[in-house]
Amino acid sequence: MRVPLSWLREYVDFDLSADELADLFSLRSQEVDGIERFGVLEGEVVVGEVVEFGPHPNADRLNVAKVDLGGQVVQIVAGAPNPYPGARIPVVRPGSVLAGGRKLKKAKLRGMESNGMMMSERELGISAEHSGILLLDDSYEVGRPLSDYFPVGETVLELDINPNRPDLWGMIGVARELAAILATQFRVPEPSFEPAGEPTGVYALRVEAPNLCPRYDLRRVSGGRPGAKAPLEMRRRIHAAGMRPVNAIVDATNYVMLETGQPIHAFDAEKVRGGIVVRRAHPGEKMTMLDGHTRSLDEEMLVIADEERGLVVAGVMGAETAEVGDETTDVLVEVATFVGRNIMETSQRLALRTDASGRFERGLDPNMVDFAMNRVTDLIAEATGGQPAPDTLSHYPEPVGPWQVPLRLSRAERLLGMPVGEADASERLRGLGCGVEPGDGKLSVTVPTFRRDLTREADLIEEVGRLIGLENVPESLPRAPQAGGLTPEQRKLRTLRRLLADLGLHEAVTYPFGPDRWTRALGLGEDGGVPLALRNPLSAEASNLRRSLMPGLLDAAARNRSFGARGGALFEVGHVFEPRHQPEGMREYALRYRMRGEVGLDAEVLPELLMGVGETNKVAGLLAGTVRAAGWNVPPKPAGFFEAKGIVERLVPGATFEPRREPFLHPGRAAAVLVDGEEAGWVGEVHPETADGFGLDGWPVAAFELDLAFADPDPEPRFRPFVNVPSVSMDLAVVVDGDVRVGEMLVEISSLGSPILAETRVFDVYEGSQVPEGKKSVALNFTFQAEETLTDEAVKGELDRISARLRDAFGAEVRRG
Amino acid sequence: MSVVERIEKLKSEALSALEEAGTTKDLESVRVRYLGRSADLTEIKKSIRDLPADDRKAVGGASNRATKAIEAALTERLAEVAIAEREEKLRAEAVDVTLPGVPYPKGSLHPSLRIIDEVVDFFVGLGYRVAEGPEVETDYYNFTALNIPPGHPARGMQDTFFLDDGLVLRTHTSPVQIRTMLGEEPPVYVVCPGRTYRRDSDPTHTPMFNQIEGLAVDRGLTLGHLKGTLAAMARYVFGEDVRLRLRPSYFQFTEPSVEMDVSCFVCGGSDPNCKVCKGAGWIEMGGAGMVDPAVLSEVGYDHEEYTGFAFGFGPDRMAMVRYGIPDLRLFFEGDLRFLQQF
Repeated sequence: MRVPLSWLREYVDFDLSADELADLFSLRSQEVDGIERFGVLEGEVVVGEVVEFGPHPNADRLNVAKVDLGGQVVQIVAGAPNPYPGARIPVVRPGSVLAGGRKLKKAKLRGMESNGMMMSERELGISAEHSGILLLDDSYEVGRPLSDYFPVGETVLELDINPNRPDLWGMIGVARELAAILATQFRVPEPSFEPAGEPTGVYALRVEAPNLCPRYDLRRVSGGRPGAKAPLEMRRRIHAAGMRPVNAIVDATNYVMLETGQPIHAFDAEKVRGGIVVRRAHPGEKMTMLDGHTRSLDEEMLVIADEERGLVVAGVMGAETAEVGDETTDVLVEVATFVGRNIMETSQRLALRTDASGRFERGLDPNMVDFAMNRVTDLIAEATGGQPAPDTLSHYPEPVGPWQVPLRLSRAERLLGMPVGEADASERLRGLGCGVEPGDGKLSVTVPTFRRDLTREADLIEEVGRLIGLENVPESLPRAPQAGGLTPEQRKLRTLRRLLADLGLHEAVTYPFGPDRWTRALGLGEDGGVPLALRNPLSAEASNLRRSLMPGLLDAAARNRSFGARGGALFEVGHVFEPRHQPEGMREYALRYRMRGEVGLDAEVLPELLMGVGETNKVAGLLAGTVRAAGWNVPPKPAGFFEAKGIVERLVPGATFEPRREPFLHPGRAAAVLVDGEEAGWVGEVHPETADGFGLDGWPVAAFELDLAFADPDPEPRFRPFVNVPSVSMDLAVVVDGDVRVGEMLVEISSLGSPILAETRVFDVYEGSQVPEGKKSVALNFTFQAEETLTDEAVKGELDRISARLRDAFGAEVRRG
Repeated sequence: MSVVERIEKLKSEALSALEEAGTTKDLESVRVRYLGRSADLTEIKKSIRDLPADDRKAVGGASNRATKAIEAALTERLAEVAIAEREEKLRAEAVDVTLPGVPYPKGSLHPSLRIIDEVVDFFVGLGYRVAEGPEVETDYYNFTALNIPPGHPARGMQDTFFLDDGLVLRTHTSPVQIRTMLGEEPPVYVVCPGRTYRRDSDPTHTPMFNQIEGLAVDRGLTLGHLKGTLAAMARYVFGEDVRLRLRPSYFQFTEPSVEMDVSCFVCGGSDPNCKVCKGAGWIEMGGAGMVDPAVLSEVGYDHEEYTGFAFGFGPDRMAMVRYGIPDLRLFFEGDLRFLQQF
């Protein structure tokens, strides 16, 4: 809502600068988004009369005028060609400051002195018109300050009105609000006119859809002058408020809308056939609207029609059919209230939002209609010379009256945390237009119908609180009667993220929606069911919910590559989404759960099935390219399976690994991560084809993804006793077939249950010229530890036992030398 | 030359040889030459018993003194040379200390999540717990239970992503508050951090953003408690000097509703060209209010007995002002040039 301050001053007195007013309004009512200034901010604009006007001797496009400013004739150079001797024009004097901060000086233009500037409508802030100098009529007296007639400078506050306050969509409401804030009075214009026009009653009014139209009033203004223009000041205000002046009739309807918040429609009475019908659109009905588009309507939409044709989509926009124009002399004025939700839905379905629909959809006060009708017919009559009809056709079957809301002062104090005096609260509520009956620590508050947002005690407490001023609320801290803290899972997540960062990974947060490619490229689309898709994605590139954190990280890696990175390590913790198949017949329950929160079946199984979506919190890491650049004393570290696996082993210390095929992973370099036999996730190198698909061709890419529930980065320690006896370290190298898995060898060794084997470490795996073709050498280091000093025989015996077991199980031969 | 004179000569030779020897190895060869098994002095000692009795005493005494003197000098020189040698070794081992150390990996935590962790820590200290919930939400939890029934204009304020019938991507973390209240009896003190989604994309809006909301429901909670809590949090996150300001606002699920501003922690309002507050002196932080009685009723709480407050703000925005990040879109691109700064 744009509030021109000169307009506001007509209704309420205040002694505040624009900045002070903006601050005050922000702290007591609605946020002020900005302050805009037009016209002449400082200095003097006077009415001048052109004495001479002719071309500039040294410039083709300039003219030189001699202008009488009331006893003093000055020379002014101008660009515009439209002034003529005898014309009255506004002249701004040197020394004045224009909007934008420019200070006007005496100047010489191509050798001719210029003492001021003749002004266009735009320069004065009257309209966007800038093709010539504003020509004033003879009622403007030469030599007088123009500000005697209308403000030559304007300051506009841009208010960001909250949706619960449609009353502030009009200047009167803003004035009432400001008066309440300042604890002062405000005044509204009083319409008065001679109701001597042709009767409205010759037209019929029929409301066929009363459910969608609580009130509809119609009054005729006849005998107007065709083509009349609204008064300059009205046009100036309409412009300042952000609308475009059109003609006297349309301007009057817009002006009163800006004043009251009530949209108004005017029909050319001569074009209306028979009367006005308020009805639902017919099936298949089409209307060509003022914006030139033809739209198809449906039966849920309300139409204002005459006996033959639709004229307006109610509350949204009209058709050309019965619009007023320059030839109009006889007007039917509609002031009505529609059901806000219906207007909102119509406007959404037509994808057409207008100034009017935005106001109607908030739900307007039907009692505003009377004032708005009187005011607008008065203004139309005044501007066109027409006369309002003595009668008004009105459909208002269920008049709305004010309602009572009790307010306990003790409750107000308990909610606000500050003292609330009875007199203070009463005065502030009265300032807002409420009736207040105090008594017994309680106020009985009568709420006016224009404040439909005030229905409960808490609503009134808010009003009192903000008008007293929220800065007066003292700060205090509550004492929570519970011990706060993170759950073990939340603590675990903290540790995990910190650990990953310390291992050199960078934490990313990526969008959970992406293109089809995300599922296709991961090969998840085939057997994994339908992807979860957004119905209204921002683009097709962002329509599918992720089922893995991988694609977002792959996209990020590709982006980094395109900006010159040679590699990097990323991780992300986030939700992934899986469709859950709903059993037959559950749809109805699902909708009741989703729309009304009702759980109609066994609560144990339900929420996820009723949602149809399974959501899991996962952690994923992606190592791409060169994970760590070479240093002067260390080689570079490329991404690879064992780099990724090493990280996983830190996140899930007890995990075991077994080969696993995933369509998006390297078939020979991928493993399932198992925790106590349960699948916790996977780790592997990304399939070169998948990497290609994401623009990572030629790079080594390794990754992992784990269900967070299995991660245990810092397991609870358990003390194991140890003895102060030296341990013995022994190496053993064995030769086995190339396809024997070392992990299985280790399992075999530990299954021996050796009482003295404390630790086993794999320190070399070798294939090549030193071992036969198809074989590999695996070198192991054992630490033996017992409670007494171990003898050579004991150690050798245990080593032999291990060798024998490896020989039996894997055909391992001990490698000598 | 008498034997004693020979001894004296050997002694002085040995002593000067020791003096000249510069390494442990040289000293060792001097020792062998003068004190070794076949050294002259050793030979003389061996031959003492063959000497006439009169000479034995003098030669024996002289040779013992010489041996002692040489040994003493040797010990002293060995120590001296050892020190010199160690110093030399250390000198040779000197490195260019300005070369970089071994590159231990350094990763980073996302700026928004750093802020969330910090805010969570603050509230945990006040006795709050952390509640979480799904990002795909039902229409009921995301809207209706928060006093935003179907058709309510406030739904239009939140550009919502829709999925299957009745499912949305949550537009705020407020449904977590509802789930919490439905799950337990008051008193409730929780914070709910998480990702939220709105169908909006321009330089200051991304379709996904982080939010952190808080909820306290208890007997006797007031707007003053809300204000005190938020002010304390602002001081914790932005520094001891910042002040909090509340302005009236509108949310369907709180009444009264407020916006909260934090005084600019950079300029305190004194710099009209301040990059952080744009000269306003205040930074918009988020929305808050006293929990609407309709919301309390919806979850089965007695709104006469209990009051509560709720608040929500954007950790992304907090990170922007705190770390001086100019563009929200940077947060969600996974760009290493961005991430590795945190």
